[in-house]
Amino acid sequence: MEDYKYLFKVVLIGNAGVGKTCLVRRFTQGLFPPGQGATIGVDFMIKTVQIGDDKVKLQIWDTAGQERFRSITQSYYRSADALVVVYDVTSFESFRCLPDWIKEIEQYASNKAITVLVGNKTDLIEDREVSLDNGTNFASTHEMRFLETSAKEADNVDKLFLDIAEELTKRVQVHEVEDSKDEIAICSQNHTVSATYNCCRW
Amino acid sequence: MPGCCSCVSAFKPRWKRLVDNIFPDDPQDGLIKNNMEKLTFYALSSPEKLDRIGDYLAKKLSRDVSRHKFGYVFISMEALDQLLLACHSQSLNLFVESFLKMVQKLLESNEPELQVSGTSSFVKFANIEEDTASYHRRYDFFVSKFSSMCHSSNAGTNTKIKIRLAGLRGLQGVVRKTVSDDLQVNIWEQQHMDKIIPSLLFNMHNEPSSTTSSQQDQQNIQIDEHPSTVAETCLRDLTCRAAFGNIKSVVNPVLNHLDNHNLWVPSKFAVRCFKIIMYSIQAQYSYVAVHMLLNHLDDNTKNSPQMKQSIVEVLGECVTIAADGSIGPSVLEVFNTLLRHLRLSVDTRVSERSALKASIKKRISHFDEQQQTMFEEAIINTMGTFAAILPDYQKIEIMMFIMGKIPLPTRYEHSDATYPMPSVNGEGDLLLQNMLLKSLFEVGTKYTTVSMSTTFSISFLEPLLAISVAPDPGVRLLVQRIFHTLIDRHDNYHKLNVNNLSKDISELELRVEKCSRQDILFMKRYGAQIYWHMYENMNQSDNRLDNYEALYCTLALLCIEFGGDEILMELVRLTLALQELACKTDGKLSPIHQCVIHAVVSSYLNLISQLTAIPAFCQHIHQVIEERKQHAAYLLPEFIFSDTIVDSSYPTTVHVEDNLLFQQSVISEALHSTGHDVSRLAVPYVHRPSGLEYRQQTELDATSLNLEVESVNSSPGGVRKHPEEQITFESLKRALQSPDNEEDLEEQEKEKRQEILETFKSSTLDEIAAISEHRSQKMQIRLNEILDKLSRPRSRSSTPPRSPQLSLSSLPSPPLKSVPLYEMKFPELLVF
Repeated sequence: MEDYKYLFKVVLIGNAGVGKTCLVRRFTQGLFPPGQGATIGVDFMIKTVQIGDDKVKLQIWDTAGQERFRSITQSYYRSADALVVVYDVTSFESFRCLPDWIKEIEQYASNKAITVLVGNKTDLIEDREVSLDNGTNFASTHEMRFLETSAKEADNVDKLFLDIAEELTKRVQVHEVEDSKDEIAICSQNHTVSATYNCCRW
Repeated sequence: MPGCCSCVSAFKPRWKRLVDNIFPDDPQDGLIKNNMEKLTFYALSSPEKLDRIGDYLAKKLSRDVSRHKFGYVFISMEALDQLLLACHSQSLNLFVESFLKMVQKLLESNEPELQVSGTSSFVKFANIEEDTASYHRRYDFFVSKFSSMCHSSNAGTNTKIKIRLAGLRGLQGVVRKTVSDDLQVNIWEQQHMDKIIPSLLFNMHNEPSSTTSSQQDQQNIQIDEHPSTVAETCLRDLTCRAAFGNIKSVVNPVLNHLDNHNLWVPSKFAVRCFKIIMYSIQAQYSYVAVHMLLNHLDDNTKNSPQMKQSIVEVLGECVTIAADGSIGPSVLEVFNTLLRHLRLSVDTRVSERSALKASIKKRISHFDEQQQTMFEEAIINTMGTFAAILPDYQKIEIMMFIMGKIPLPTRYEHSDATYPMPSVNGEGDLLLQNMLLKSLFEVGTKYTTVSMSTTFSISFLEPLLAISVAPDPGVRLLVQRIFHTLIDRHDNYHKLNVNNLSKDISELELRVEKCSRQDILFMKRYGAQIYWHMYENMNQSDNRLDNYEALYCTLALLCIEFGGDEILMELVRLTLALQELACKTDGKLSPIHQCVIHAVVSSYLNLISQLTAIPAFCQHIHQVIEERKQHAAYLLPEFIFSDTIVDSSYPTTVHVEDNLLFQQSVISEALHSTGHDVSRLAVPYVHRPSGLEYRQQTELDATSLNLEVESVNSSPGGVRKHPEEQITFESLKRALQSPDNEEDLEEQEKEKRQEILETFKSSTLDEIAAISEHRSQKMQIRLNEILDKLSRPRSRSSTPPRSPQLSLSSLPSPPLKSVPLYEMKFPELLVF
């Protein structure tokens, strides 16, 4: 009866004003809301996508970047399957804060979650402060996948979420296979499951 | 078309047909009631089909949602609600699964209407009491989504409020559903509470101002309840269900939220939150919240003083609400924490001050210091509220605890290490002294003394006395204030005014009570020490007027509380010594100080004389005061304690004529005439300057006085002295008459003795025997008479029955002093 096969929770984090809500809006509703106000607390969107033969539902939790909502947003990290760390390529400050966000993820999120680094607002070419290399380097040192997007131009936005959905689906399917393997093998190897999870961090 | 439909429907199972039938052709028409009733009846009669019905409805609904046919969506929801309410709870289990799926579906949509409707369905479900366990149900999504709804920032004000309200109700529903059932998810887990609590608080402090939503909007949609009130109810709901282990998971997010949103300053909101918590928390756990606040204060040691002040204020509020439940197992811990913060704040102030001297940032520093001061005051107040709820014995403990923290003047440092007393080093310690004494005072005001010896144990009294002669006049004043509040048992403090020479003390309506024997013992033991310190205090050359006023009050309170015979003598003796001190011309005290001491002495002696009500005493005091009024007004309090006086109006040198002084001889005469033992008065009070000597002296004094007390107690009569009795009119009258009576008695006694001697010498044995026999008979009769009269149980005949006349005369204490019981001659009646 379900209209989807897999359900994944994706949480977007990053400094205030880097364009998290716009990314979500662009992906879920296909629009770019100009003059979007600051998110309060946590916003919620849903989008079902087709990955191969399977329908995959993405629950997207769009968190407020403001410091004052930090405690409530942190509580959403825990159950996330994927965390998207967004920075603004036109603001070096938002890039500089990335280590703090990484720290938050390590502290609050499950270590099975996959993390993606996103540099947003590539349409503002003239105001760019963070180069592509900067982002790539940062992502590779922290073993994250990296993308540069533009919510306004709809550049890479769908790719971002679809990649996440695909990766998560793949993992679940591998997991399912492993599960069946495990059932055949004697159950003494409980640790293998978590071991595979750890490898899955891009 | 309808025909075709019916043809197809004929092949459907019955329940499917029934479900399809409830939907009208046009969604505007709403649910078809008749068919719904049929469906309900069917579901009730065959509950095994219920889960399939639910499943089917859910499918229909999700299809309608994705096709944006909202009319049908609402109809499906209505049908689900009705089925849910109508069916028996046992059969609901599987149906609930599909029901919750549908609610989730609605919540996932972006339409506010659907979200609100989904929530209200969920709330209905939450109110159903289920009696079958459901292990697999998960509410994670609901908690997350409802919390998110609580933060809705929808463009339309009304829609926003509606969504937020729905979110709050939803959260309430989740809490209700899960909290009572151990098998359900543990709602108290941090991940849930971290969502729920901030959402509630966010709505509480985000009261939407009515001005933003226009009048028209309000008319369009009736908002029956404010999100903030709903949030408040929800918070109460949650807190009152929290068990011991869960208090932390409620309070921690609250503290975090207040931190994150900078809601401590001003403290209004924080106070409101904690009031809600304290009022709804189970009473036996309320101390946990208090402790968590204390810990939070510790965590924010480095934070701004305003914030800490707010925390302390909140703490104070909590304590008042929780009353005796707020202390928990470790009282001292609480005070220790507060005192530590007090100390830290004082340290910061001092370091800031010294930094100020170096730098130029004058205004900022000054502002900061003011805030530190306010913080310190908040701490002191909170300590007061804490102390107020403690039982008395713990108050004493706390006072001693605070006392132990006060840095004492170095010269009083003890050689034995029972108290490690920090020595005073400069400004910082002075400030600290000040603050700690203020705390002590605050605690002291909450304490009511019953017995002096319990209040002032030696380990408390000694350091307190030591600090009473501290070099700083402000500190000395504070110590006197502490003495006032602790000594004053009868609320007399406010009636006392040094500037009162009235001849009628009764208008002050002082409440005087007989002081207990314990108190007298206490004064005998520690009196000398107290007097020494009072004298030393008077002798301080930097005393201010308020110091003197305070000292007067202390003296007056001593007199009122311990107005006993010997103590009175000691106080008079001390006062005369003070007068002498004021007359000294060795230049230690300025003329102004001398005048002030004279004034205090006059006022004090006036009070004593009025209290004793000895005419001669009063008269002398009055006479001297009158004399002063005419010749030396500057020796009277009226002059000194009036506001208009400037230093120049004092004489440059003070030489006081004898007629302006209170004469020891006259006073002791007056006291002696009323039967007081004035022998002590004759010995002038010798003030030993060094602390060490005085201590030895007091020890000597104390032991000798103790002996005296014991001898009095073991004296034959055993009649205890009642110091207060002397003051009554009756006793005075008797005291005045007694000398004559005594002489008469003595003469009679002599004659009788002579007679007896005579009879024994002159008469024969037979005669004596006859007389004695006759007498013994007489005595027997009389004895019986007396015993009957007194209706006492007959005791051994050897008990000497006192003649009524004698026992009467022995009652008042003053004559007793001159004729001690054991010297008294018993009448001949008792010879045998």
